[in-house]
Amino acid sequence: MNGRGKRRVPLALAITLGCGALLATLPWVLSDFLLALALSCLMYAALAVSWSMFCGPTHYLSLATSAFFGLGAYVTAWGLESMPYGLAVLGGGLLGAAFAALIGLAVLHLRGAYFAVITFGLTELTLHSITYVEKTTFETAGRIISDAPETPVIYWTVLALTLLAVATAIVVRASRLGFALAGIGGDEERAQTLGVNTRRVKVIAFALSAFFPGALGAAMAVRWTYIEPMSVFNPFIGFQTVLIAMVGGAHTLLGPILSSVFFSLLTEFLRLRFPYAFLIVLGLLLVVLVLYLPGGLASLFLRRARTHG
Amino acid sequence: MGFWLELAASGLITGGIYAMVAIGLNLQYGLMRIMNISHGEFLMLGAYLTWLAHTTFKLNPIVSLPLVAIALFALGLAVYRLCFRRIARAAATVEIIEARSLLVGFGLMYLVQNAVYLIWGADLRGYSFMADPVEIAGARFMANRLLVFGFAVAASLGLLALLRWTMIGKAVRAMMQSPTGAQLVGVDTEVLHPLVFGAGLALAGVAGGLLSMVYEISPSMGEPYTITALIVITLGGLGSAIGSLVGGFILGLVEAFGMHFTSPSLKMVLSYGVLVAVLLARPRGLFAR
Repeated sequence: MNGRGKRRVPLALAITLGCGALLATLPWVLSDFLLALALSCLMYAALAVSWSMFCGPTHYLSLATSAFFGLGAYVTAWGLESMPYGLAVLGGGLLGAAFAALIGLAVLHLRGAYFAVITFGLTELTLHSITYVEKTTFETAGRIISDAPETPVIYWTVLALTLLAVATAIVVRASRLGFALAGIGGDEERAQTLGVNTRRVKVIAFALSAFFPGALGAAMAVRWTYIEPMSVFNPFIGFQTVLIAMVGGAHTLLGPILSSVFFSLLTEFLRLRFPYAFLIVLGLLLVVLVLYLPGGLASLFLRRARTHG
Repeated sequence: MGFWLELAASGLITGGIYAMVAIGLNLQYGLMRIMNISHGEFLMLGAYLTWLAHTTFKLNPIVSLPLVAIALFALGLAVYRLCFRRIARAAATVEIIEARSLLVGFGLMYLVQNAVYLIWGADLRGYSFMADPVEIAGARFMANRLLVFGFAVAASLGLLALLRWTMIGKAVRAMMQSPTGAQLVGVDTEVLHPLVFGAGLALAGVAGGLLSMVYEISPSMGEPYTITALIVITLGGLGSAIGSLVGGFILGLVEAFGMHFTSPSLKMVLSYGVLVAVLLARPRGLFAR
């Protein structure tokens, strides 16, 4: 996978850039409703791709995406009045990455269900701590975002983040960091014996993958006019991300992108008309997909490709 | 004195329910590595069945508890047969079973919760049962809460006794210690797995039935219990039934006393704080060997 994989990096990056240029024209083409739909596709694509960046090769199951997303959103909520939108997005990303590095140092030695539970617990802890701080120090339950940028600006920002996430994923997969992550996923002790500083690698990759949900949270926060912890730290953002990534196939790059489009369209068109029936169908679909297509959607078109590992 | 007793008792009562929900989930996880995130939905289903039996057939909730247990046990067998058996057979490693069962759990959660929304609507439902105060040692308790506590503790202890002293309990414990070893000495996975899965659901259903005597019920009532159960089993150690029992009581007490000394809005911060603290200090839970 190494030599051939490395040579394909420029090609993959060029394709990403091309798709990005095409997608960037959408605000002039689409109606407001369809643009909002495209925005949600892009957001979930970026979330799922960045989640898979760390969790795909290492088989960690992180439920902390909502924590990074919510922290990013609060950077916007707290800072948009005093700084430009772009800076808030960058700040959100950096805060997400810093928080991930911090919790990564503390909890990345846990594996399997323990890791899933503690990342979920940390997300809830962050949610409730922010609620408490807002209530006691600022005496407010939520914040109103006043001067939000235009929808096309938000769209281009999120598009840029999505492209950056995909590009980062492409580069990481072909880099030493990517190989080290795959090695950790295969057998952590073996990777350690072969000279990989597993702790450092995991913390770096976890922080890198958390930059994107942080930045996306900051970018998407302006879509809500009213921000409260329950909505931006909503654990379902994290669940949905995991779901999309795993249904798509977290070990691939295209799988999560495809399944985020699939899920966003499905959600958008069915949810409003049949709210309960939709979720029943979603549940059924999820069960059936996991049982009969365990490799994810990606395995549909990768079936004949060489499997390694 | 009466006040402190009431506070401790309220902590123990919630703790008893937590323990009961957590033990079922923990057995499923410990034995089969099934992280059934939809556990709370089956608790909710148990609550609705009890409520339905009480309001339509005027059935005493205590009488309907065993019926609920049987119904959910049967449902558990069906769910295991349809979903989890395939996962357990197809997966190569334990990690894959965990990840896939988590996803299937999400699917079941959506499925069950929204089916209940569709059938009974989003309204809070409830009935009044044994809601008279009882006085013990200067403290006043609602009779139904004492009943719930008694049942929850009895069910949990009963299960622990079952695990400790019966042949099937020994088989379950053997399977948890060493799946291969247990199979070598003739423990049959094909029988044990569905049985334990069904038992877990039955426990959740009974817990739901008990809760419906005290609180109002709604289709979304299950999720918080799933999450609390996850916290409790992590506290007590994955796969340790006695750990879940003690963990449940600890969490109930920490919540009750913590809320009294700080503020009710800190309840969730407290429970997650305990979880994070324990996991950082003892990554394998309080009762890990």
